[in-house]
Formats: sequence, structure tokens, C-alpha cells
Amino acid sequence: MNLSGDTGLWSTGVAPAAGPLALVLEVSGAVLSWPVDGDAADPPVITFTDHHRADWLWRIVGESGHVAIVDALRHRELDRPVEVPIPAARPESTEMLRRLAFGHWLRRWWPASARDGVVALDAAVLDAEIALLTVAAEDYFGDDTLDSDVLGLLAPHPAVLNSLAETGDPRVGALVEQCRELAAEIGLDWPEAAVPRRQDYALAAGAGASSPTGLIARGTASVAWSAVPPGVFDAAEGTIDWSVASGGDGVEATIEVALSGPGTPVGIAVALRTGDCAGSGVLDVGGRAVLALRGEDGRPLTETQAWNRDWSGTAVRIGAEGGAEDAAIRDRVRAVARGRLAEPGAGAFLAEVLAAESDY
Amino acid sequence: MIDRAWRAIGPGVEVLSGDDGGPLRRTVKRIVDPLVLRLRSNAQFSAAVLDADVAAAMHDTIVGQGPQLRAAAAWFVVLKRERRAQRITTGNAQELYFPVCFELAVTRGMPGGQSAAAAVLAEVHHNHDRTAIEVLNEHVRDPQVIGRLRRQLDHSWRDVRAPAGRSDTITGPFFAGLDTVLGPAVSHRAEAARQRVWSALIADSTPYNLGAKARLTDVALPWSIVDLGLSSVAPQQIPVIDGGATGDRPLDRSVVDRVRATLRRAMDRDELPDVPLLCAEEVDRACAPWGLLAEDKQAGLVTGIEVANELRPLDVSAQPRHELSARIQARLAKEAYVLHARRYLSDGGPIHPRQRQVVEDLAAFTRPYLSRLWARLHGRDVWQESCGDVDDVRSMLEGVARSVSLDHRQRIKAMLELQVAG
Repeated sequence: MNLSGDTGLWSTGVAPAAGPLALVLEVSGAVLSWPVDGDAADPPVITFTDHHRADWLWRIVGESGHVAIVDALRHRELDRPVEVPIPAARPESTEMLRRLAFGHWLRRWWPASARDGVVALDAAVLDAEIALLTVAAEDYFGDDTLDSDVLGLLAPHPAVLNSLAETGDPRVGALVEQCRELAAEIGLDWPEAAVPRRQDYALAAGAGASSPTGLIARGTASVAWSAVPPGVFDAAEGTIDWSVASGGDGVEATIEVALSGPGTPVGIAVALRTGDCAGSGVLDVGGRAVLALRGEDGRPLTETQAWNRDWSGTAVRIGAEGGAEDAAIRDRVRAVARGRLAEPGAGAFLAEVLAAESDY
Repeated sequence: MIDRAWRAIGPGVEVLSGDDGGPLRRTVKRIVDPLVLRLRSNAQFSAAVLDADVAAAMHDTIVGQGPQLRAAAAWFVVLKRERRAQRITTGNAQELYFPVCFELAVTRGMPGGQSAAAAVLAEVHHNHDRTAIEVLNEHVRDPQVIGRLRRQLDHSWRDVRAPAGRSDTITGPFFAGLDTVLGPAVSHRAEAARQRVWSALIADSTPYNLGAKARLTDVALPWSIVDLGLSSVAPQQIPVIDGGATGDRPLDRSVVDRVRATLRRAMDRDELPDVPLLCAEEVDRACAPWGLLAEDKQAGLVTGIEVANELRPLDVSAQPRHELSARIQARLAKEAYVLHARRYLSDGGPIHPRQRQVVEDLAAFTRPYLSRLWARLHGRDVWQESCGDVDDVRSMLEGVARSVSLDHRQRIKAMLELQVAG
């Protein structure tokens, strides 16, 4: 195993860039990462935040390997990489951790889309499975980490899980029963009430925005996932419809984004820019915003100026500035999702299996 | 090591074990470490890498208590059954019952019947920490007691004075020493040298003098105690005995609040402190520089201020001067990477306007960092646990950063998940 300094920490390799393609798991004293489209048996890149606290390390590299790593790092500066001769990681332990990391990834990056036909995963079922997996991996959470919070995973879901258990699917029933037992142990109140999930997600908007009068230009753009929270927008490409038209006091841009999921778009930033002309605002509950446009001098754009512009380079941004991923990255994620829905493998989560079954 | 010894115990401890047969995390944390190996008094067992003979001794200790561990496991089964029967869901069952089970195993052997279990649960769930706090409330209801404490307070506060003359202005050597304490040690010899420097620093009067100056108007400290979040006003005011504190920062707190905090933290301890004695001592502590009596704790706090002022979570480009701060900063950056990879943050900034406040809080790391460090030092001051070991102090400074960061990140996460649930 080769250890070298990665931005001030010892690491067994180069961690994937943070974003839709990275699986990560924060354990005691280290962050583990894998590429999302790799193999289940791939060993993780281990970045030690504090190797003295990584008391689980022997489970992956064996006792002698653990001792060898601690010895090798003693009194060593980060600028001198070190080769520690130890056997390869034990796949059976790292596979379990990768699966847990994958579960967390599914919660945050699953590209649910009505347009693309990628079915959303059941959040309650998925969180329940991750909670149980976390308990099974408790040896890796000697220190509490961002990923050790079992209570936080289960707490929002008892009523919905009770309701799901009543539908008679034995796999769900068994899952809920395990969660109920776990709740009793960890001190989470588990009421008997069964409340079916709200199904009134906003699925509309975006498609077929009517032609405003005085239309000057229109086009489409795509949402960068890294700039927005999950569970709000349809994850397909080209879901932003924009149009520019003359309005009351000048020229206005109307933006509409396709929604999908339980989250609300209210307050999420939206900005349109073409050359030196720009407008910005926030989305309303329907994923819509009307922006007043201003020219380079900061004054409202006039209708004449608008007609004389070339609008072909117009860019629309939804959400945070910076850090947007390429469309090619989103395509890779969709390929992963489609692959898993088409053929849920042995490591698939029940939430994925249920989504695949509902897909017919 | 523990794992192998545990497996050697054989059957009968399944409820304390994971699916793979090794001990559960809480079995180690709540039973094996504190009660079987007794790490507090057997420091040799807590080394990161064990010598062969220490390892053998550890193995024998664990295996030797196999019968008690089996009995503890049996007690846990009985208590869990009773918990379910009584529909108790408060607290984590393993966390609460594991130590009790081992104690019962040692004192009573294998479990008795259902009534014994019910009695144990009643004890655990009802009489927990109430008593000491009730004694405190009773104690300070007496006006004579309050009067006496107040007189002591006036006296003690006047006793602490920043020395006049030149000696109080020389802080250079102390801070130069911190460069070593917070710096790297690349050999055993350098480690020993670092320890020597720390031993000298905790005997240095600089932390005491700085703390004493924090209550004067006309002298300048290297930092503002308000900006550091240690006090809500500058200069520091004389504390009150009970009620009516000026703010919620560490140096604002009333004497009674400080004692209450001690009693809450004392839940895990066997020895219950004598409340009147604790109050009298706390008056002196509240009047001491930085609200801490021992010089090593005062030095610990000043060291923490140096570290905290260099930490910038979410700012990848920050490059602290000291090695220890740089290491902590690198961890904070990795933790921000996890948030980013999980779509809780976008490139260092909020991903949803709702998170803006928390993200700003995270940028102002110094205040929560020093509040938490102060609380830990206060605990050590009360229990007279030394801060003389430099590695131990360094790991405390790291541990505080870890817990403050986790706390903040959980808030960032909660802010985002709130909207989905709601």
C-alpha cells in the first residue's frame, strides 16, 4: 500500500473529485471514497483525517498491516510518500462499506426524472436500509461522524414505514420490523400510527410554457445538479425553459424549471446572462421566475436593445454559483441509474428493487 | 487485540457481540475499556500499538472475566425484555444498561427474576442525575449561603491582580514556546523537547497575567475576549452567584450555573461531590483568570486561542502557520469535501438559501471552538485532571475541533433535509 500526502493528509490514493461521481463514507479517523461507476469489489481510497483514530483499520488490512501503517507514519512528514508492504484490502469488509457509501449516494444523487423515466426511490425505505447498514458497520464509527447518525435517518419515517408495512410486501414488512426493534434499542419513539406518504408532488411546470406576447427570444438550458439540493428538480437535461419578452417597464425573462420530488424550489436563485446583459431573482413555488433584464450600463434593457441582440449564447443558472458539473458527468450518472434499474444486482437496495418493479 | 480475546470467551456473550462475533462498539466503550481493562488506571492498555507482554496481559484480563461478561450478557437480555414490557424508549439501551449489567454481574452474578430487572430499570430511569442537582437547588435557596458565597466572591475577585510593572508586558517567550508545542516532532528526541517546553509553559505566568488583564479596561490583550466568544462584554465583569448573568458566554456564567454543569457532567462518575464544597470552590474558580484555577488549564486555553484563530473551515486555501493547526485545517477541508460530495454544500457555499446562516456560523469557528474547549478545561479543572502531557493537550485541541465541526455539519445537513420532510 502506497501512502502519500494529499492536501495535508495521508491517503492511499487520489480521491475522486467531490460531485455526482464520488461515493464517500466518513468513518472514524478517515474518509473512504470510490468512483460511483466502479466495481463493488473495488478497494476504497482511504484518506486519513487521523490514523490514530482509525481503530478499524485492521479489519481491512489485517493486524500486521495496521501495525505496519501506524509504524510507517510515525515521525514522518507528509512530503515523503511511503510504501507499506501489506496485503491487499479484504474485499468482504470493504464491499459492505462501499454499499453503505452507495446508499448515501442514492439519497443525494439518484437522478429521478419524470421526463427521462427514472423512477424516484422511496426515501423512507432507503433511509431505513441505510440505518440498518450503519448499525451493522458500527465498528467503523468509534467516533461519531456525519455518517453514524442512525437516529437521524430513522426519526422522520416511522409513520410512513408503518403505512408501507401494511401494504403486505413481505420484504418491506421485514425491514420495518427490524427498524422497529432498532428504534426501541436506540431510544426512538415509534408510534403505532400509519400515515401514507403525501403523493401530491409538483410534477408540472416547464413543459409547454405558453408563448408570451411580444416574444423576443426563447431557449432551453439544463440544471447543474451540484448547484441545487436533491429532491426538487427533474434530473433530465434541458428542463429549463426561458423566454425573453417585452414587459411593462422594459424587457423581462421568464424562467420555468421542471420539478420532481418532495422539495420546494421556493427561494432558490436563478440568473440569466447573455453577454453583458443579465437578470437575477429567485424561483417561486411552481419553479418559475420573472427577471427584469439590465444592460451593461446597469439600466433596464430596452425593447430595441433586446431585438438587436444575439440571444444564442444565453446561459441560465439555477442555484448556487460555481462548481457546476459537465453534462457528460450527468450522463454517466444516468447510465449508472438505468443499469441498476434494468438489472438490480445482489447489492441493490430494496428501494431500488421496488423502483425497478414499479417501472413496468 | 480486544477482538481476539473477546472471541476466546466463547458462547454466552452474543448479545454483546456483533454479527461477526467481535464485541459491539458500545461493549468496548462502556464495558471492556472502563470496567474490564480499566483504562483510567491501566494506561498501558490504551497504547495504539501494544507490546507482546502487554497484549498478553490484556488478553488474560478479558478472558479472565469471561464469567462476569457472560452474566452481564444475561442481565442485558433480562433488562431488554423488561424495557420492552414497560414500553420504555428513552435513552439508548446499550449505552444505559451495559455498565449497569456488568456491575450487576460482578455484584450479583447471573440475573434474578423479573422483579429484579424492574427494580434496576426504575433505578436507571428515575434516580439518575436528579439528586445532586436537587441538593444544589436546595443549598442555594438559603439566603445565608448566598450571602457567604457573595462575600467570598468579592474577596476572591479582588485577590486576582495583574502584576504591575514590566513583567506583565512580556508575553513573547510564552508565544515563542507555543511554536514548539504546536509544531511537529519528527523524532523521539523532538517529542521529548516538546514536552519539556510545555512543562515550562504551564509554569509560566503569561496565561495568568493575560487572564487577569482581561478584567481591566485600560490594557490591550492580543485579542478581544468578546470576539473570541469567551465573554459577552469587555472587560470581563465580576460573576454573579445565581441568576441574572450578563450573557451565555463561558466567562459570563453564574457560579451556580457552573456548578450545575459540573453535576450534569458528573453522571458517569462514582464519587458524588459534596455540593457546598463544590460551590465554595467554584466561587474561587469563577474569579480566577479565564475562570480556571489551575495554571495548566489557563495555559491550555491560551494555546487553544492560538489554534482557533487560525482555523477556517470551508476555506480550502487557508494555510495555518502551526503544524497542529494546519493538520486540523486539512481535516476540516476534507470534511467540507464530504459535504460537497453529498450535495449538502456547493463549492464551499450554501446550496440552499436556508443554509446561509449556518454556513456563516461555520466560518466563524473560533467562538464555538473556544466555548467547547473552555467547558472541557473547566471539567478537568474541577476533577483536577492534569493538562501536563503535551500529547494529551494536543489531542484535546484536535478533539474539540472534531466535535465542533461535526455539530456544525449536522446543522448544515439538517437545514437541507428539513425542507424535504416539511
